[in-house]
Amino acid sequence: MIRGRSRSLIVPLAAALAAAAGCAPHVVRLQPVRAAFQRGDVAEAERLLAADLEGNPDDADVLLLDRAVVALADGRPAEAERMLRRVRDHFDAVEEADAAEQAASLLSDDGALAYAGADHEKVLVRAMLAIANLVQDGDDAEAYSLQVVEKQRTIVAEAARPDGTNPKASYRQVALAPYLRGIVREATHRDYDDAARGYAEVVAWEPGFRPGPVHLARASGGSHSPRGHGVVHVFALVGHGPFKADVAEVPTSQALLIAGELASAGLPAALPPTLAPIRVPRVIAAPGNAGSVQVAVGDWSAGHTDTITDISRMAAEQEEAMLPWVVGRAVARRTVKKGTIFGVKQGLGLNSGLPAVALDVAGVAWEAAERPDTRCWSLLPDRIQVLRLELPVGRHSLDLRPLDRAGRPLGPAVSRSVTVADGRNTYLLVHATDAGIVGRPATSSP
Amino acid sequence: MHPRDPAVSIGRRFFLSRACAAAPLATAGAALGAALCGGLTGCRTAMFARVMQPGEAGMTGSHQAGRETFNPLINEAVAKLLARHVESPVQQVSFEGAEPVPPPVKRICFVGVENRSAEDIGDFKERIFEIIDGRILESQVFQSVNRRFVEAGLRDSRLRPDQLLVPENMRAFAVLMEQQGQPIDYLLYATITSGTTRENRDYQRDYLLTLELVEVGTGGYDKQSAELSKGYHHSRLGRWRAAKTSGSP
Repeated sequence: MIRGRSRSLIVPLAAALAAAAGCAPHVVRLQPVRAAFQRGDVAEAERLLAADLEGNPDDADVLLLDRAVVALADGRPAEAERMLRRVRDHFDAVEEADAAEQAASLLSDDGALAYAGADHEKVLVRAMLAIANLVQDGDDAEAYSLQVVEKQRTIVAEAARPDGTNPKASYRQVALAPYLRGIVREATHRDYDDAARGYAEVVAWEPGFRPGPVHLARASGGSHSPRGHGVVHVFALVGHGPFKADVAEVPTSQALLIAGELASAGLPAALPPTLAPIRVPRVIAAPGNAGSVQVAVGDWSAGHTDTITDISRMAAEQEEAMLPWVVGRAVARRTVKKGTIFGVKQGLGLNSGLPAVALDVAGVAWEAAERPDTRCWSLLPDRIQVLRLELPVGRHSLDLRPLDRAGRPLGPAVSRSVTVADGRNTYLLVHATDAGIVGRPATSSP
Repeated sequence: MHPRDPAVSIGRRFFLSRACAAAPLATAGAALGAALCGGLTGCRTAMFARVMQPGEAGMTGSHQAGRETFNPLINEAVAKLLARHVESPVQQVSFEGAEPVPPPVKRICFVGVENRSAEDIGDFKERIFEIIDGRILESQVFQSVNRRFVEAGLRDSRLRPDQLLVPENMRAFAVLMEQQGQPIDYLLYATITSGTTRENRDYQRDYLLTLELVEVGTGGYDKQSAELSKGYHHSRLGRWRAAKTSGSP
């Protein structure tokens, strides 16, 4: 009879565990998508994403982010913009913590929380919106560029704690944001002060960005371009971006093991043993070998793109800053689970014997069922790079050649024609991975 | 049979009663965990919006200047500038009894708003431009050149707004505007500056909006400013104490 009762407690837990084990984590599911995109197979990446979206509607936001990147690479910026806008709005809607979700996540794992995006994703979704818009008509690009700057500021400001500390104060700012604002305002030929302010922030935030001081000097005392010339801004999304993986937090697991043993010695009923390690999502950078994109206009080698935002580095740094909180949540969750099993044992008076062991087994299984939340924007590039070219008015054919980190060609050049208008900006977007140029470059030029 | 003996069977009623007794413990565990997380802030709320009625008190920027700062600055600076340049109708002395001739309308080229303050004013810059431009147009003291012509002129000449003050550039720009069918008599510049005074964690920021009117023909200029100070306080108490000291509500 007791065995039957114990089984009745354990069976549902085991079933839940089995069900949970049947769902592959996000990082595993998306691996084929990443692989397809990185080898330049945009159609296959699109097909896999569509299939995954059908099977995992709860992950719609992150999957839409990836689809937007695929759409951009496929030369469909309007579609990409629509998807990015939808995700931005939904991220904003679920950003605020919800008590019910938080409680549910303590009893299961962080997968129970609606995904509001990692901080770098919240900023980059707006930056990508601005880029997607610029390679169309650019009507909303200025608004998006303002939103990028504003979002960065808000993320840091809202993390301020009552004791005056701010774990996000050390966040590296996305220099692409003021850069976008700078290039848009400079093209007005009127608001050079805004452009100079933007470029000054670029120089301060990304000192390694080689052309930064040149842009600042031009905005402070020069003009947009010589008469009879216009400017082509090339945006290159280079390399393979970061993703989140499931990593065992060994020191914390050991600390919890010792703490459990110490606590069990003084308690009337034993706590479930700490067999399942504490697991947390960690950012993994695997940037690949793509280094930059070389741009040639006819026989003239115009230069290569320079990194303005290192996404992998930024994601890793932001994660490092917030890791104590992530681990803290995992420990709190473990405490709740152990406390619950302990409470049930106490309530039922099961301090020893087989039923107590059965509850311990159930507790261990419950703890082992935890999955770190590895949801992320998996098709982000490793780096966002830019190149500014002043070209005479008229039609030009730009040859875009992917280079590796040593500056050697990674693949064949792809040509794209642009029409340059007097005193105006033209925008071009290109993706480069280890396989070379991915998809079709998109441009605002007719 | 002792109910606590695990070797004996547990009755349904006993099981339920014990489970009920255990529930608070589990709940307490969850609450402890929640407290440890420090993340329970309540139910997620949606964003709501409403149309604000004319004359209704607007919001006050808690970290930087907003409408509460810029609107009074614009109103005061533009009013001062226009008041100085209002001209009475001209009464022709040669022909008594004739209707007074209105003074010729001066054509003004509003070059732009320059932000030299400590704050990034973001989307307010375009708004400040449009409000000033609109007020000038309404005044009928000046006739404002459409900003699209101004932007086209700057683009075609590749002159920066600050370079227009060089006499040679000013003449070239005036000629270019005339060729576009938009002759100009004056250039107008708006500049926002700020000064910050700190008192521990609170600070006061003084905002100044300056309108500079430059006559194209002579290079002579007029200047009008409006100033507004704003206190930023780290706590409600700080704001209350500052308001009490100054006597403001």
